[in-house]
Amino acid sequence: MKDIRFDVFVPSSLDDALQFMAKEGAEALPMAGGTDLIVLIRNGIVKPKKVLDLWPLREELAFIKREDGWIRIGALTTIEEISNSFLVKDPRYAGFLDMCKQFATPYLRTIATVGGNIGAAHPLSDVTILLLTLDCEVKLMSVNGERWVKLEGLFLDKRKLAKDPSELITEVRFREIPQNASTAFLKFDRRWGHAMGYIVVAACAQLEGDIVEEVRIAFDSMGRPFPERAKKTEEFLKGKRLSGDIIRDACSKVLPKEMKRISDYRASAEYRLDLSKVLLKRALLKIKSRVGGG
Amino acid sequence: MSRVHSKEEYPYVTVKLNVNGKDYEASVRPYERLIDVLRYKLGLTSVKEGCGRGECGACVVIMDGKLVPSCLVLAVRANNKRIITLEGLAPEGKIHAIQKAFLDTLSVQCGFCFPGVILAVKWLLDKNPNPSDEEIKEILGGHLCRCGSYLRFIKAVKLAVKYLQEGKVYFDIKELRSVSSAR
Repeated sequence: MKDIRFDVFVPSSLDDALQFMAKEGAEALPMAGGTDLIVLIRNGIVKPKKVLDLWPLREELAFIKREDGWIRIGALTTIEEISNSFLVKDPRYAGFLDMCKQFATPYLRTIATVGGNIGAAHPLSDVTILLLTLDCEVKLMSVNGERWVKLEGLFLDKRKLAKDPSELITEVRFREIPQNASTAFLKFDRRWGHAMGYIVVAACAQLEGDIVEEVRIAFDSMGRPFPERAKKTEEFLKGKRLSGDIIRDACSKVLPKEMKRISDYRASAEYRLDLSKVLLKRALLKIKSRVGGG
Repeated sequence: MSRVHSKEEYPYVTVKLNVNGKDYEASVRPYERLIDVLRYKLGLTSVKEGCGRGECGACVVIMDGKLVPSCLVLAVRANNKRIITLEGLAPEGKIHAIQKAFLDTLSVQCGFCFPGVILAVKWLLDKNPNPSDEEIKEILGGHLCRCGSYLRFIKAVKLAVKYLQEGKVYFDIKELRSVSSAR
């Protein structure tokens, strides 16, 4: 019989929560929405003695703001709140609309959070993959103060983050992208509702006419078991005209050189690589039409 | 929330819940989930545990106006919250228009998934009184029905919309028998 018992600490303030994490260290785990952690605990995969319930901090940590050229999103903002925010109405951030529509199911979107999605450090983390293309920064807080780190360098392995156990993710932010830029998010699975996705891709590109000024592409995995950017493909596309030939070369010649896929019970490596090529092509074309068509 | 003093490792905690308009106090272990309280302590058996991991949608309830899977919400998190389960959809002796529509379209076969489905539809219709097929599919995308009544669900939602537009929110249970034998 698995031991699924744990104690729950309900903090009265963010400071209270940080004190608790400093005292308990690795003994305790912070829980945002709980859509991942409760499943892990009940399956006996993680066995924390104590769980810090962050939900009471939502008054402080659930927000989406536009401030001094930054978009700031609180770590406890739910996916449903993103789908009701100004972000999804802006054609530049259409990727967020794609993401919200495909994120699990409506009843999970009401409790799944942005911070939890990053903290879970699972390869198929939709919010994380999209945020990677926006060159996002993550705010980590502990009793010793706060620091901003790049989301890109935060992952070490599957379910492993480059942060101290006592640090909490409290906010993410990214620079607003220019008017001639847009985002796209695509996922492929056999069904639409509640899809994890065989592969997930997000892209953000700035186009001057047809010329790619800036492009960032992120996949659920490039070889290691966490979301990463396709840097070589980005380099290849930069400064080029986003035509059918260039997109084809980027997807079928450059991308396979840097991407390593695994085979498992869900899909084979060949199938995943093939899908990656197709979905990247679709993502780039989607951005092209979004920037061009407004 | 008050903690009961005890030497136990995981002492009971008292949580206050408003379920279907009634106030309850329950003693729960910190690791217990909302479904454990609703189903096993309050006896609301419409809340069903299908997968226990937020994949099937059989356990969803409406908590403070949000559709949540009760198998992934800790009971302590539901403290001081208002919860609606299927039992609370209509007053004693009556059924809600959505329930009636599900009966009329013969959507309910084995009956395991529909409490969750009906609550999801209620949540959808509260926000959007006249949803399109696509919107219905999106909201029910996470509800597994192993009898395969999915197409009937869409029909049922359309019928429920019709009932609600005609102002028929509740139906008397006594009248049901005659209606279904007339079909």
